[in-house]
Amino acid sequence: MADSSALAAKRYDSGSLSSVSMETISTLTELEDLEKVYQQLCVEEKEVEAQLDRLVGQEGAIHTKMLALQRMGPNLQLIGGDASQLSGMITFTCSLAENVSQKVRQLDLAKTRLYNVIQRADDILDLKFCTDGVQTALRNEDYEQAAAHIHRYLSLDQSVIELSRQGEESSAVDASLVLLQEAEQKLKVIVAEKLDEAVAAVDLAQVERFFKIFPLLGLHQQGLARFGQYLCSQLASKAEENLLLATGGDLGEKRALMIFADTLTLLLEGIARVIETHQPIVETYYGPGHLYILITHLQQECDRQAQKIVDKFILQRGYHNKFQIVQSSMMKSAPGERIEPRELDPVLAEVTLMNARAELYLRFLRRRIMADFEVGDAQSITQEHQQNVEKLLKHCALSTTMQELIGYYIPMEEYYMRESVNKAVAMDSYEKGQLTSIMVDDCFYIVKKCISRALSSSSIDCLCAMINHANSLLESDFREVLCNKLRQGFPATTLQDIQRGVSSAVSLMQSSLQQGKFNTMGIESTENAKAAFLVTLNNVEVCSENITTLKRNLENDCTKLFSQGFGSGEQAKIESCLSDLISTSTKFKDLLQEGLTELNTTAIKPQVKPWISSFLSISHNIEEEEFNDYEANDPWVQQLIVNLEQLMAEFKVALSPVIYDTLTSLMTSLISIEMEKTVLKCSFSRLGGLQFDKELRSLVAYLTTVTTWTIRDKFARLTQMATILNLERVTEILDYWGPNSGPLTWRLTPAEVRQVLALRNDFRSEDIKRLRL
Amino acid sequence: MARVRMSMEDYDYLFKIVLIGNAGVGKTCLVRRFTQGLFPPGQGATIGVDFMIKTVEIKGEKVKIWDTAGQERFRSITQSYYRSANALILTYDITCEDSFRCLPEWLREIEQYANNQVVTILVGNKIDLAEKREVHRQRAEDFADSQSMLYLETSAKESDNVEKLFLDLACELIREAKQNKLDNNDNDRPMPGEGKTISYLNCCSLT
Repeated sequence: MADSSALAAKRYDSGSLSSVSMETISTLTELEDLEKVYQQLCVEEKEVEAQLDRLVGQEGAIHTKMLALQRMGPNLQLIGGDASQLSGMITFTCSLAENVSQKVRQLDLAKTRLYNVIQRADDILDLKFCTDGVQTALRNEDYEQAAAHIHRYLSLDQSVIELSRQGEESSAVDASLVLLQEAEQKLKVIVAEKLDEAVAAVDLAQVERFFKIFPLLGLHQQGLARFGQYLCSQLASKAEENLLLATGGDLGEKRALMIFADTLTLLLEGIARVIETHQPIVETYYGPGHLYILITHLQQECDRQAQKIVDKFILQRGYHNKFQIVQSSMMKSAPGERIEPRELDPVLAEVTLMNARAELYLRFLRRRIMADFEVGDAQSITQEHQQNVEKLLKHCALSTTMQELIGYYIPMEEYYMRESVNKAVAMDSYEKGQLTSIMVDDCFYIVKKCISRALSSSSIDCLCAMINHANSLLESDFREVLCNKLRQGFPATTLQDIQRGVSSAVSLMQSSLQQGKFNTMGIESTENAKAAFLVTLNNVEVCSENITTLKRNLENDCTKLFSQGFGSGEQAKIESCLSDLISTSTKFKDLLQEGLTELNTTAIKPQVKPWISSFLSISHNIEEEEFNDYEANDPWVQQLIVNLEQLMAEFKVALSPVIYDTLTSLMTSLISIEMEKTVLKCSFSRLGGLQFDKELRSLVAYLTTVTTWTIRDKFARLTQMATILNLERVTEILDYWGPNSGPLTWRLTPAEVRQVLALRNDFRSEDIKRLRL
Repeated sequence: MARVRMSMEDYDYLFKIVLIGNAGVGKTCLVRRFTQGLFPPGQGATIGVDFMIKTVEIKGEKVKIWDTAGQERFRSITQSYYRSANALILTYDITCEDSFRCLPEWLREIEQYANNQVVTILVGNKIDLAEKREVHRQRAEDFADSQSMLYLETSAKESDNVEKLFLDLACELIREAKQNKLDNNDNDRPMPGEGKTISYLNCCSLT
């Protein structure tokens, strides 16, 4: 439409407002102008004609479209009718459906109400039945039946009962209810009385009979309390009987020593048995989760009885008294009363046994209670439950009493250990031919015994404390003993020195010192002092080994303990305490090293040094004749080897193989250093160099046989020196040096090589200087 | 002495810290706050000793913390840990005069059982209960001064100064360990024993 109006406007425009207006034409006078205008108008006409043709051409298409539209008219009317019909149908269906569902709802409601009615009728019938039943049952003294009826009544919906009372039959229901409530009260009283009677009569069958009735009446707590009371009184009388037997009667000597531990064991085993026997009945009639309550009742009696036993134990064994004596003597105050450690043995064993029993019992309780909770619903074990159980087990009087006993036990055990070890040290002796003295074995026997006893208490804290004490005893006190013995030093023997004709200034000075010291003692005591030093070295080594073994064994023992179920925290505690033993073992190793260094310095160095320096007095500036003479009569090395052999023979028999080996290693280092120093002071001829090479080879060969350590490395520098001294000419060194060294790694610096070359008196110093190394 | 280098363990220093003090002053809560970052409400009394390890962010340092029971009956267990302790945290409760009055008794215990190189720090806990304070800060500071101890006030509940307590202590211990090492190097040989100079080589030729 817009198009056509635009077209119309255009047409109008071209009609009235042609590019040339009529007035313009009428004013034209020139032919030329006229023709121009005419031309223009002709062009315009043509354009208009073309436009007209285009418009006329469209007419057909428009016509067809109009026809089609006219044909669609009736169809549209039809659709409109159909749609309104459909809408009517839907409305109808909808109302129909609503109608139906309302009816269903009504039916449903009716059904529910009907059920309620039936239920209520049932309940009322039940109520009546219960009322009658209770009466009859009570008359017949059939309390189980009566309780069952009451239970049924109690499980009825209280609101239903209320509703029933509002009905027509309210009076009848009321009457029933009153009767029932009366019966309930009556039954409660009767059952309680009967249970009390049965308890008084110690009639287990009757007790159990009425115990089972309580939960039916909704009296769980009361039932458990009364039953608990009954069991407690049973336990109490049995326990008192046992305690009387323990303190009064004649007992075999062996049994008498452990009688309180035995009595406690009887008590705890008795309670455990009671729990085991009655757990099923509690679980069946009271449901899971109730065992905990019964146990809290029983635990009260257990605490009371255990306390009595412990009190008697403390009194009869003089436990506190012993503790006080021990404590005052540990304080190192005035030397008052002392206790023989051996006297403590039985009481210490008894206490640990008592604690072990208590731990075992408490673990048993925990297992049972948790299992009972889990039967109910594993998820329902709340934090509160666990806290309650922890509180019951950890803070019950039995636990605290035992903790107190252990608190006294630890210092006494420490005293026992310290005193016994002191005794072992004082009584130390050693047999000839033995590497170690008996002190070490004794000491570790005692330490092991004390820790094992602490372990047998099953208390992790107690065990840790004793490991700590043992560790500090070994690390400071016992180690100090060994340290002191080493501090005495290893005496050098003057006599031997003189016999060997050694007269170096050092040993002379030492000899005079030793003489000053040992003038009152014979050779024998010197020998003893030597032996004591060597034995102590062996002792130190064995100690280090023993501590490691002790740690390993304890670890194994503890794995067994942990398999019984202890927390990971407990395990970490033990591991930490045990790891301290390792550092103690290392400290003993350090001490051994120090002792060996000392031995090397005082006993080996003064001897070996002069033997080595005697090398100086053997000329190596020799010719063929002397060389052959040396060949026949060895001037030095054979004697050195004999001397070394003699020197070390003493140590070889007296020291453990490991220590001896370390000592020889120290000695070989010493020899190589001394040799090097000595050789640098000599001068050599060509044959002298050869002689030295021979001597060195013999020495190294000998030393290789006496030790398992590698010798070659220690003598590498010396061997290289011998190689240099054996050269034909100065320049020959270049065959072995630098790129020509092959597999040989030079340990000598170029300056040292020159220094060694200069020892050869036939090498000219200009040649040596000229060398380019 | 405190320097430990084990091939399998990844720490340079291992220190043992032991917490001591009366029952109920909050030792366990301090340790829990430091090691686990939590404040356990209704914490029950500790039985014996509890043990915890924590790696401190200073130079691969590990601290083993022994949290001891304050109750009298565990005293003999507690005492066995004193000797190997590098540091002791002596704790009292600022809202409890009694726990402060017991400090001299604790110091006697330390004197008797601990090694003489132990670092002791006095801690007044529960400063969140300021309105119930019974021990004035000045008094505690004076006391600590007189015993040449460090002093710090903390709140395990509000986490005040707890981190600082353990980190300061760790730094102090490292400093001392380094000092010891230097001393030992001066003597040119490892010092056996703890604190005692056992060097029999000096006297062997004369005795």
